[in-house]
Amino acid sequence: MKWNIRYRETWLHQTNPSLKLIVLLFLFLAVLFIHNPNVLINFSLALLLLFMFSTGYPWKFLLLLFLPFLLIFVSTASSMMMFGEGETTWFRWGLIHVTEESFLRGLHIGFRALSFALLGLLFSLTTRPVRLFYSLMQQLKLKPKYAYSFLAAVRLLPIMLEEFQTVHNALKVRGTVSHGWLEKMKRYAIPLLSQSIRRAQRIAVAMEAKRFSSSTERTFYYEIGFNKHDIALVALFAFVAAAAYYTGVHYPYIPVTDVR
Amino acid sequence: MSTTTKGLKLADILTTIVIAVIFGIIYKIWGPVYDFVKVFGFHLDQLIYGMWFIAASVAYLLIRKPGVALLAEIAASSGELIMGSEWGLEVLIYGVIQGLLAEVVFAAFRYKRFDVLVVSLGAIGATIGSLVMDFYKGYIEALAPWNLALFLIARFVGAVVISGFFAVSLVKALEKTGVTQMLRPASKEDYDALDR
Amino acid sequence: MKPIAAVERLRLKFPGKDTLLFKDLSLTFYEGEKVLLLGPSGCGKSTLLQVLSGLIPNSIDVPMKAERLQLPTNWGYVFQDPDTQFCMPFADEEIAFALENIGVPRSEMHQRIKTLLEKVGLFIEPHTDIHTLSGGMKQRLALASVLALEPDVLFLDEPTAMIDEEGTKEIWQTVKRIAKEKTVIIVEHKIDYVLDFVDRIVLFNDDGEIIADDKAQTVFANYKDIIASQGIWYPGVWEEYTANRRRRSTESGGEKRIYLRQFQGYRSNEVKIRIEEAAVHAGEWIAVTGKNGAGKSTLLHALMKLIRTDGTYELYGKDSKQLKQLHRLLAFVFQNPEFQFVTNSVREELAYSLRLEKRKEAEITETVEGLLRQFHLYEQQDQHPYQLSMGQKRRLSVAASIVSGQQIFLLDEPTFGQDAKNTFALLELLESYRRQGTTIIMVTHDENIVKHFATRRWVIEDGRLVKDESISRQRSTAAALFV
Repeated sequence: MKWNIRYRETWLHQTNPSLKLIVLLFLFLAVLFIHNPNVLINFSLALLLLFMFSTGYPWKFLLLLFLPFLLIFVSTASSMMMFGEGETTWFRWGLIHVTEESFLRGLHIGFRALSFALLGLLFSLTTRPVRLFYSLMQQLKLKPKYAYSFLAAVRLLPIMLEEFQTVHNALKVRGTVSHGWLEKMKRYAIPLLSQSIRRAQRIAVAMEAKRFSSSTERTFYYEIGFNKHDIALVALFAFVAAAAYYTGVHYPYIPVTDVR
Repeated sequence: MSTTTKGLKLADILTTIVIAVIFGIIYKIWGPVYDFVKVFGFHLDQLIYGMWFIAASVAYLLIRKPGVALLAEIAASSGELIMGSEWGLEVLIYGVIQGLLAEVVFAAFRYKRFDVLVVSLGAIGATIGSLVMDFYKGYIEALAPWNLALFLIARFVGAVVISGFFAVSLVKALEKTGVTQMLRPASKEDYDALDR
Repeated sequence: MKPIAAVERLRLKFPGKDTLLFKDLSLTFYEGEKVLLLGPSGCGKSTLLQVLSGLIPNSIDVPMKAERLQLPTNWGYVFQDPDTQFCMPFADEEIAFALENIGVPRSEMHQRIKTLLEKVGLFIEPHTDIHTLSGGMKQRLALASVLALEPDVLFLDEPTAMIDEEGTKEIWQTVKRIAKEKTVIIVEHKIDYVLDFVDRIVLFNDDGEIIADDKAQTVFANYKDIIASQGIWYPGVWEEYTANRRRRSTESGGEKRIYLRQFQGYRSNEVKIRIEEAAVHAGEWIAVTGKNGAGKSTLLHALMKLIRTDGTYELYGKDSKQLKQLHRLLAFVFQNPEFQFVTNSVREELAYSLRLEKRKEAEITETVEGLLRQFHLYEQQDQHPYQLSMGQKRRLSVAASIVSGQQIFLLDEPTFGQDAKNTFALLELLESYRRQGTTIIMVTHDENIVKHFATRRWVIEDGRLVKDESISRQRSTAAALFV
């Protein structure tokens, strides 16, 4: 993503994007099957360390990005804590019923949300869309018409954000009646969508005018292969997973091994 | 008359993805809104959850071809991910499953019907997709029964209202602008008119 | 000469339209020719280019048939909108996209990209973000990526329609340099820099029929009236226009409407525009000029308070902080009209603000009818605003903005991309308001507008108002005498 923030290229930027995506998706699925909060907490902390030291962004920016995630952590955890089922009651007030089981389950879900968020950030902060889609075409045989369409859309993103601001200003200038939020959303969506549909159609024609076609063999400006960083990536995550599991089981913070 | 061999044409794909990215922006903004509503409790947040399925409905109504609902939902969630979603990689998986189940519904109608009923059913399909994920991720079955019921009803109702009824009215408004004409193939009458 | 592209008895119809765009059109182009297609907007010139290149029907599904079609094999196409011809974020990647399409080996790409950029006079680092380029540079990049295909025939579809004067000049200089040996078929509405390049002009009428097809000089000399009536920007169009115009009453200096002192506008906590001191009066027409990105639009946004401001800003002698609904005092016209439209018909669009103000229905009808006629939109009153032509959209956006009877207009390049006819019509309308005492503050790149319409000029440089000069009237009359 173009954050317009200066960053340092780290080894994570140089890994193969397809491989990185697969590894992170695999970890995502693995996290779904972790029911021991100790293991999950260890794993989340490891991801947090990577996020802080291996993405190459300035601290202030990372902190700013991280704040909403804390909110997710709290909101995801609290709902389960207060309304979940359980036997060992800690606190009851009206419909709110906090039990030991629901509290721990809530905590676990919170950490799970946190690790998902970190996995996502690790990916999006260290992957340039162009490299990603070239890699998807070369390693995973994604059809070029999909890949270049995604890239064209990414290119339009800042233009669309600008237009969003313009529509916002225009509505302010014209004065608005409050019709409810769905009606208001329509006011924004119609100009943005119609503009984008026209744009998309024109870009498609322009691409085909440059002889883009799915039938002919194409060459690639960027050749994305594998290098030593990819080995490091796989090795690191294998180690992190094993270490999180081992320490979580043998040196638990909480005397619970399954929150279900 | 088209030269593309099979599947969607470049213009269809590009249009689907570009409008989906707009919804990706909305999906991203929707995160904080959702959290804000959550504060009020009683699963009011679930009423607005359905916004996250709207890309599939709108793309299907606009492009009217097989595969666009799934593609739109994947593209919208990728957009959300790229913009740094609070939910991270999770959104991508949710997007795939939601889009897939909406697509199944549209396929069941053989991509021939584009009314509120079909789109609402598509929204219900997407909702089921999201629940499958929630089941694995959030242990929702462990919520107190009254709470779970409220949760489910709110999510389904919200999905039908937003990604069913609202999506249809949005596309109708868009059709009035005339821009959708370029998305629909020329009719046989138009070709016949050449000989008159 | 060898024919390189031709259509014979071409018929074509847009879906949903009642009539054929072309009915049995025949036209042949020869190798090495430089041809300009002229005609009113909507007569089908661009469509013809798309047929000649095969984009219709291969990429765009439009019903058509022809007795005979001869299409060139090696062609390149430059489109009108600089923002809708690229699919990649960086300049080198965009050119590489074209090279990839024709299977150029990767090892040759870097060198080719460098050569192509130099060819079109873009001396930039190849890996440059396309967003940071100006419109004129973007169009030259488009030209470079088209040249990557090594075309024999170049189709140029209004490549400068959305480009300012300077960029336009650069684009045509580039085309002249690179296309000497090629066949070039051009559609263009601004022909100042094109006339000496083309050797043949094909002139169309409203119905898509050819009314003239001859040497450029011959057509231009014999059909000048028709060309003028079609709204084409040709050399000398301003001089002719001002010669026929009534002499302007120039007196201004009515009541003070706006007063600014140490006025600043912010974007993300940075001062983006600052005005030390300025007063604006009734009947003034201020042209705001300056380079791209200098802060001209920001100034309008600050006056409208769409961004955070501080310092003194008085409207009609009152502190603007105490005035709530600023949009009832100031009319704001955005650069892209479509973003301003909020209803489904021209009539409703005009009534919108009046309805918000809860005016009486009879009064609304009267005002709307008046504006429909004044802005030449009466026939279109039931159409959806998006379905109007460029000129109509622009007029509607102005009419809808000023409907509440505001006495101060803020306009952001309202004539941008408009043809000559629509530009003059709009300027006349604005002038008639100004004569009745309306204050106009307008961002523009067009020196002719400054010279012939403005009473005063503000020059913005790096977010500062650096020059505030009144435009002397003599010049306007002098220009008229000159012709």
